[in-house]
Amino acid sequence: MGLQLTSLTTSADANPSVAARIGIGGPVGSGKTALIEALIPVLQTRGVDFAVVTNDLVTKEDAERLRRSGLIDPARVSAVEAGACPHTVIREDPTLNIAAGDTLEATFPGLELILFESGGDNLASTFSLDLVDWWIFVIDVAGGDDIPRKKGPGVMKCDLLVVNKVDLAPYVGVALEPMLAEAQRVRAGKPVIATNARSGLGVDAVADAISAAVLFRS
Amino acid sequence: MRSALLAIWQADSGFPNGSFAFSYGLEAIADLRGKLSPRSLADLIESVLRQRWASFDRVLMMRAFRAGNDLACLAELDRLCEAMSLLEPHRLGSRRNGGSFIAAHARLGNPVAARLRDAIAAGACIGHLPTMQGAVWRALQFDAPSAQLASGYITASGMVAAAVRLGAIGALQAQSALQSALPIIDELVTNGDDDAEPSSCVPFVDIVAARHMRADLRLFAN
Repeated sequence: MGLQLTSLTTSADANPSVAARIGIGGPVGSGKTALIEALIPVLQTRGVDFAVVTNDLVTKEDAERLRRSGLIDPARVSAVEAGACPHTVIREDPTLNIAAGDTLEATFPGLELILFESGGDNLASTFSLDLVDWWIFVIDVAGGDDIPRKKGPGVMKCDLLVVNKVDLAPYVGVALEPMLAEAQRVRAGKPVIATNARSGLGVDAVADAISAAVLFRS
Repeated sequence: MRSALLAIWQADSGFPNGSFAFSYGLEAIADLRGKLSPRSLADLIESVLRQRWASFDRVLMMRAFRAGNDLACLAELDRLCEAMSLLEPHRLGSRRNGGSFIAAHARLGNPVAARLRDAIAAGACIGHLPTMQGAVWRALQFDAPSAQLASGYITASGMVAAAVRLGAIGALQAQSALQSALPIIDELVTNGDDDAEPSSCVPFVDIVAARHMRADLRLFAN
């Protein structure tokens, strides 16, 4: 019987998650944590009950940064170590993150949304759909305007591409409009939003996209 | 044959159970010693297998295996594991790895795993790894030797994978250390006393784990 026990379908008992789960991935320094910091007050204003799981690569710095920010109840921030494999913990083996999400849902009944922040990675990272319902990939203009052209799986497969730090474009020799146009072109029309997480530019649009995609709010 | 296949499936590093994020003390040792030779890695694996896995994790896993779906008994074993895991990295690591292991099997539709996951969420169970392995593998109809082989192999291969990822040893050299662990696991399973009181004493690993507990830089959960 053991070899036949696993069914090809999952029942409600197998996956009791109620909260929508979204991923926020992207290269080191692209502004994932800054985007979450900017999203927190926007989501709170909209009355969304949410929590955050961070996947720091070598420390718990991102989790501690959010906990100490004063923006969110520290108990609503959970940290998962990536075991030196930032890809693995969100893709090949997302079970530590799944368990962290389950724990948050058990601790905070009524949770509507969990944001999973990937550890800093590269353009090849993608999220397992066992873990998240929808995911964002964050790049920044300082990484170079050729990033969309490289067509990494992160850029191509994400549900929403965020191009962050747009204010830096003139200082790093990036022509922003052509970069955004190329991102739109390689993604064949899938959404791209330009942000400056520090000033709040574009953050409402990101929150709108999350609300429409997984919270079914317009 | 079926039990052997089940053991291969569960011991395969491709099975998502969260164990890749646990170094079994290797991260602390690599911090202290830097590079490891195949001999020194093999010695470390043997120490952990003989002095911790065979006498502690294996014994608890086998008790849980016998308990099957008896939640009260599993909860008691969890409390024993908690009480006997004096070092925080061992204690929390075992809990968290047990949680990810049970999350994987619950998502795969295993009803025992789903019940245990709900018991952990409700606080009725702590969810230590050996307890969860024993209960779930019994439900999957492992035979007892295969369950022990899978458990022992996961411990040894986890140490090897961590050493490679930490850059402490080359991938092929590490495999020679893992190969040398295979007859040890075989011997420990063949001669293991399932009725022994659980015990664990690996002084070097325990001391470096304690030193590493508050480290600022940590790649692994333990």
